[in-house]
Amino acid sequence: MALSARLLTLRNSPVLLKLPPYLSALCIVIGIAWLFILPLNEYSRQTYVSENAILPGQVHTYFGGSEHNVFRAYRQEVYQISQVSETDRLAALENVLREIGLKVAAQPYRFTVAGEDVEGTNVYGLLQGPRADATEAMVLMAAWLNFEGEINYSGLALALTLARYFKRWSIWSKDIILLIPADSTYGPEAWVSAYHSTSPDITATRNVSSLPIKAGALQAAVALDYPVGPWGHRFDKLDILYDGINGALPNLDLLNTAVAVASGQMGIGCSIHGILSHSDSYRDRLTTLAKGVVTQSAGQATGPHSAFVPYHVDAITLKTVGDGWHDEMSLGRTTESLFRGINNLLEHLHQSFFFYILLNANRFASIGNYLPAAMLLAGSFTVTALALWVQSGQVAVQSAAKVAGTDRTEKQPELEVVKIGDAVALVPAATTKPAEREMLLPAAVVLAIHLASFLPLYSLNSLHRQYLPTALQAITATSLLLPALASTALTRRFEISTQQIQIMQSFSLLLLGTSLATLATLATLNFSLAFVVGVLASPLSFVRPLPRGTSTGFPAVLGRVGEAYQYALQVTMNLIATLLYAATSPPVVLYALCWYISQDVGGLLLEMAKGWSVQGVYTSFVIWAVWWPAWVVGGIALSSGGGQR
Amino acid sequence: MKLAQLLILPATLLSAVLAIPEYSEHLHLRPLPNGYLYAGFNFTASTSLSAYESQHFRYFPRSLGQILQHSHTKELHLRFALGRWDDESWGSRPRDGKREGGTGVEIWAWLDSGGGKPAVEERWSSLVNSLSGLFCASLNFIDRTKTTRPVLSFEPEGTHRGGGDGMELLHGTLPHEVVCTENLTPFLKLLPCKGKAGISSLLDGHKVFDANWQTMSIDVRPVCHVGEECRLEIQQTVDIVLDIERSMRPRNDPIPRPRPVEELECDESKSYHASDTCYPRRKEGEMAWSLSQIFGTPVRGSCHVADGDESPDVSLEISPDRAVEVLHSGSNETLMSDAQDQRLRVYRLSDSGKYTDISLIQQIIQEAPHQEQPPLYASRQITGFGQERGGMHAVLHNPHTYPQRIVYLESLPWFLRPYMHTLKVLSHPTTSHDQPATPVKPDKMFYTPALDRKRGTHLELLLTIPAQSTVELTYDFDKAILRYTEYPPDANRGFDVAPAIIRVLPLNSNSTAGNGKTQDSYLRTTSLLLPLPTPDFSMPYNVIILTSTVIALGFGSIFNLLVRRFVLAEEVPRSALAVRVAGVMGKVRGWVRSLKGRMRGGGDGGGRAVGGAGEAAGGAGGMNGISGVAESRKER
Repeated sequence: MALSARLLTLRNSPVLLKLPPYLSALCIVIGIAWLFILPLNEYSRQTYVSENAILPGQVHTYFGGSEHNVFRAYRQEVYQISQVSETDRLAALENVLREIGLKVAAQPYRFTVAGEDVEGTNVYGLLQGPRADATEAMVLMAAWLNFEGEINYSGLALALTLARYFKRWSIWSKDIILLIPADSTYGPEAWVSAYHSTSPDITATRNVSSLPIKAGALQAAVALDYPVGPWGHRFDKLDILYDGINGALPNLDLLNTAVAVASGQMGIGCSIHGILSHSDSYRDRLTTLAKGVVTQSAGQATGPHSAFVPYHVDAITLKTVGDGWHDEMSLGRTTESLFRGINNLLEHLHQSFFFYILLNANRFASIGNYLPAAMLLAGSFTVTALALWVQSGQVAVQSAAKVAGTDRTEKQPELEVVKIGDAVALVPAATTKPAEREMLLPAAVVLAIHLASFLPLYSLNSLHRQYLPTALQAITATSLLLPALASTALTRRFEISTQQIQIMQSFSLLLLGTSLATLATLATLNFSLAFVVGVLASPLSFVRPLPRGTSTGFPAVLGRVGEAYQYALQVTMNLIATLLYAATSPPVVLYALCWYISQDVGGLLLEMAKGWSVQGVYTSFVIWAVWWPAWVVGGIALSSGGGQR
Repeated sequence: MKLAQLLILPATLLSAVLAIPEYSEHLHLRPLPNGYLYAGFNFTASTSLSAYESQHFRYFPRSLGQILQHSHTKELHLRFALGRWDDESWGSRPRDGKREGGTGVEIWAWLDSGGGKPAVEERWSSLVNSLSGLFCASLNFIDRTKTTRPVLSFEPEGTHRGGGDGMELLHGTLPHEVVCTENLTPFLKLLPCKGKAGISSLLDGHKVFDANWQTMSIDVRPVCHVGEECRLEIQQTVDIVLDIERSMRPRNDPIPRPRPVEELECDESKSYHASDTCYPRRKEGEMAWSLSQIFGTPVRGSCHVADGDESPDVSLEISPDRAVEVLHSGSNETLMSDAQDQRLRVYRLSDSGKYTDISLIQQIIQEAPHQEQPPLYASRQITGFGQERGGMHAVLHNPHTYPQRIVYLESLPWFLRPYMHTLKVLSHPTTSHDQPATPVKPDKMFYTPALDRKRGTHLELLLTIPAQSTVELTYDFDKAILRYTEYPPDANRGFDVAPAIIRVLPLNSNSTAGNGKTQDSYLRTTSLLLPLPTPDFSMPYNVIILTSTVIALGFGSIFNLLVRRFVLAEEVPRSALAVRVAGVMGKVRGWVRSLKGRMRGGGDGGGRAVGGAGEAAGGAGGMNGISGVAESRKER
C-alpha cells in the first residue's frame, strides 16, 4: 500500500517528467559508444575451437606431388570448357565428374527478378563415402562464376582435383557433394532450397527443379573462390567470407577451424572483410567491426556460401586475395585438412557461437558483449514512447492559469483533498485526475501509415529494373511531402489534439522500440541491422511539434521589430529542423549511401530486389515497413504545430 | 539370375546325392563395374528337429540353438549391415535382397504365440537380450518402441506345422548400431571351422569392414522335404562389395598418397598435355586381382567336415574370356567343374592343400558385362529444415515395362509424428515429363499410430507401381520434443530413422508381361538422420543457478519483510531474560565495586548507584541489536 501510493506520487514528479529526453539521449550515446569499447582486449576474446571432435590441423595432409600435374590439367580443361557454349559446358563438366567416379546430376533453375529472367544450371556430383551410411553429407562448392562475375578457373579445377583425390580415401564418414553452381547467388540458392524440399513449387518468379540425387543431412559447406586462369597466380592470404543471408552467421567453430588450419598448419594468413594488413591495433579491429556490422546489416549474400546459412548449414567461402607466395596446392591442402576436420564431427556443429562480431580472424566479441548496444538503442525509443504516453494523460490546466495574467482576481487552481491512511494533503485536482485518452484517431493513423508502407516495399521489389530509380524518386518526393500533407489534413479536417499527437507518436515509437518487436527482437536475429536502423532512426525520439505562430516573449519596447526578428528566427529554426529531419528519411539515406559507396541507385535497388525476391532478405522490409512508417509519423508530429489544445 | 541359381545350387546337388550334408559352405565372386568386387559367403548347417529338441548339436551352433529353444523361436532372421548397395552401377541385389538388412541391425522372428500377448513379448525380450549378449550388439535396446508387427512384408521361409498358425511375427531395427569386428567374431564362432579353415578364413575384420557395402545375416528355419524328417537349417551369409584398388593396398602402407609422377596414367590426346600437366586417363578393362591380395590372405585349407558334401566351395562369375589362375600349395588337385553356364566357373578346395589362391590378370574384355536390372530403384529423404516439422519423401522408380506390386514398410520412432492425412502417393511416367502426376491408390494400408514413449509408428502400404514410372510418396511430420534425459550423449547428431523396407511381390504366373520374377525380392532404402529440437545442455545448470539466485534474493527479502516487525527503539519491551541477566550482571559489578571500595575503604552507597546505570546501558544495547531502522508514520 505504501509503495503503490508513493509510486503514484512519482507520477507527477516534475523531475521525472523532464527526465525522458535526457534518458533517451543517454541510451543512444551509450549504445553507440558501446561499440567503440568492443575492440578493447577486455571486451573481446581470442577465438578457440570449442568442439573437441574437429581436431583441426591434427592430420597430415597428403595432397600434393603428382596431384599438382592433375590440377594443371584440370585447370586447362576448365579453361577449354569456358570457351564453349553453355550446353557443351554442362555436358563437359558432367563428363569430368563422371570420369572422377562421382554420381552426377544437373539442376536447371529460373528466377524472375525485377522483370528479368535469370537462368542457369547447377551441376553436382556425389561422392559416396565408402563406409558412410548416407545420413550425412558435406559440400565442396566451386561456383562457375564467382561473386564478382569472374570465371572461377582455378577454384573449380582445384575442387575437381580434390574430388578425385578424396575418392581414393576410405575415411569419409559423410558423403561429399561437389557442387558447381552456375553463379554465386542464384545457383547455390536454387540448389540448397531444392535440397530441402520435396518438390519445389513453381511460382511466377521462381522455377527450381528438384534434385535427382540427394545425400543425407548437410553438415557444412565450403566454397572455393580462386578465379585465376591457366597461367596461374600465387596469392598472399585467404579471405574468409562468412556472412549469410539476413546476417545469419555460420558456427564460429567452422571459421576457427578454417583459420586454424590455414594459418596454423599451412602458414597462410587469414583476413576478414578483405582487410589485408591487420595489425591487430584498436583502429584495425574497429575497422573490421565496422565492416562486419555494415555487411551484416545489409543482409545480402556475400558469396556462394551465403545461401546455405539460413538452412542451418554452416558454410564459408575461402577467397584468395593479394599477391604472395602461396599456390593452389596450399589452398588444396587447407581444404583437405578442413574437410578432414568436418569429417571428424560426430554431431552437427553446435558447440561454439552462432552470434558474434569478428574483430580479427582470431578475435571476436560474443553476443553478451555486443547486444546491449542495440538493446539500449531500442530502449531509447521505448523510454520516449512511455514518456509521451504519460504526458498525453495529463490535463493542461496550469498553462491556462498563467496566461490569464491580466485578470486581477487570479483564479486559484482547483484543489482536492487526498487522504491516504492518516495522512491528509491538499493537491491540485489536475494532478490526480487522469485525462481521457482519445486513441482511435492516433491508432488509425499509425495503422494506415504502416499499411501504406507496403506500397514502396512492393513497388521497389517488383518493378522492372529500369523503373527502379524513378520509383525511388517518386517515393522520396512522396515521403517528404506526406508528413506535411497528412498533418495539415489531420489538423484541419480531424482537429487532432496535442494529446492525440503524443499518443500517435507514442504508438509509433513503441512499435519501433519495444516491439522492435521490431528493434529488440531484430537485434537478437540480426544485431547489425537493428543497430544501424536504431542509429538512423534515433532522431525520432526527439521529434516534438515545431512551434507555430508568434509568441509574446519580448518586451513591448522592441515592438514590431523585435516581433519580426523573433518570427524570422523561428522560421529559420523550423526550416533547419525540417531539413535535418528530411535528411534522416529512409530514401534520402539510401541516396546518401549510394553516393558514399559510389554505386548508382539503380544497381543498389536491383541488388535489394534480388535479395528480397530470390533469397528472402528482409532488409528492405525493415527499411520500408519499420523505419519508414516511424519516420512518417514523426514527420506528421513535427509539422503538426502542436495540434488543438 | 545366376545368384538365384547359386542359392538353389546346393539344394539341387543335395537332391542328386540324396543325403543332405549337415554342413556346406560356398563363396561366390563376381567383379562389378568400376573396379568393385562382390563376394558372397554362404555357410549352411542343419540338424534334424529331433536332435535339436533333444539338444544334440553337431554343426548347428549350440549357443544359438539353446537361445532359440528358450525363447520358443520358430524362425529367426538377423541382419547386420553397413554401407549401401549402388543399384545404378551394380545392378540387382545379390540373393534378391533376401539376405540383406537395413543399415545397422535388423531382426525379425516368428515366435510361438501360445500364452497370449504378454508371453510373446516376454519371449521377444528374452530373445533380443540373449542375442545381444551372443553377438555383442545392442539388440537389447529393441524395446516396445522399436518393435513392430508387419502384416504383409514378411512371410515365413520355413515349413511350419499348421501352416504358420500359432506363430507371431515381430520385427525390430536399430539403425544407429555400428556394425564392426566385435559382431563378426561371434558370427565366425558359430561356424564349425571358426574362421580358421575353408573360405571363412578369408573373413578378416579389416577387409570386411572396409567394404563399400556389407551385410551379415543369420537365418534359422525349419526345412521339410517330402519323405524325410524335418530339419532345422541355419544359413549364415556375409555379402560384401570391395573396392578392388583400395583392398589391394598393402597393409603396411594403406594411405592413398598421390602416386609418383612417373606412374600417372595420362590422357596424352589432350592438347595441353605436358610433362607437368596430366589429365588422368580413364581406366580401361578389368582390373587384376587375387584372393590373397584382396583379403590379405589366401584360403587356408578347406572345411569339408560333413559327410556327403561334394558341392563346390568357390564359384567365379566372370566373362569366359578371362584367364584365371588357381594356385595351390602342397597338392595340385583341382576340381574344375564345367558348368552349363559359360560365365560361371566353380572350384572345390583341395583337402590336402594348405593354401589356395585364385588370381586374375588385367584384361580388356570387349563384351559388356552382363548385368541384371534391379526390380525397383528406391530412395528416401527427409525434407524441410528447422526443428519443428519436416517431411518424408520416398521415390520409387520402376524401370521395367510391366507394373509391379510392392509392399512398402516403414517403422518410425515415436518422436517422429507423421500426419497421415498428408500422405500422398503420386505417380508420373518417366518416359514423358509433360504428363501430370496421377495419384496412386494403395490397395491396402496398415497403420498403427505411435504412442508417446510406448510404441512407434508402423505403416505398411500395398501399392502397384505402374510400368516405367516413378512413384513419389510424401507425408509431413512433426518433431516431438523429448525430455532432456531422453537425449543420447550425441544429441546434436540427430536421431536415426530406420530404412524403409520394400518387398517387390512376384508377378502372377498368368501375367502376360513375361519376364518378371517369380520370386519376391526385397530392397531397403538408406537410413535417415532426423534432427530434433535439442536443448542447450548447459541450460539446466544456468536455470538452476539463476532460479537459486532469484529465490534467494526474492524469497529472502520478502520473507524478511513479512516476518520482521518495525518498531521504534523505545517501544521494544525488554525481554525478561535480558532484564534478569542485566540484573545479575549489575549485581556482580556492584559487588565487585563495593569490594574494591571496601578495599580502599570508601563508602558502599556510591558503588551501588554506578551499578544501576550499567544495567540500563546494557538493556539499551540489546534492544538496538534486535530492532531495525524504524520509520516514522508522520513522514507520509
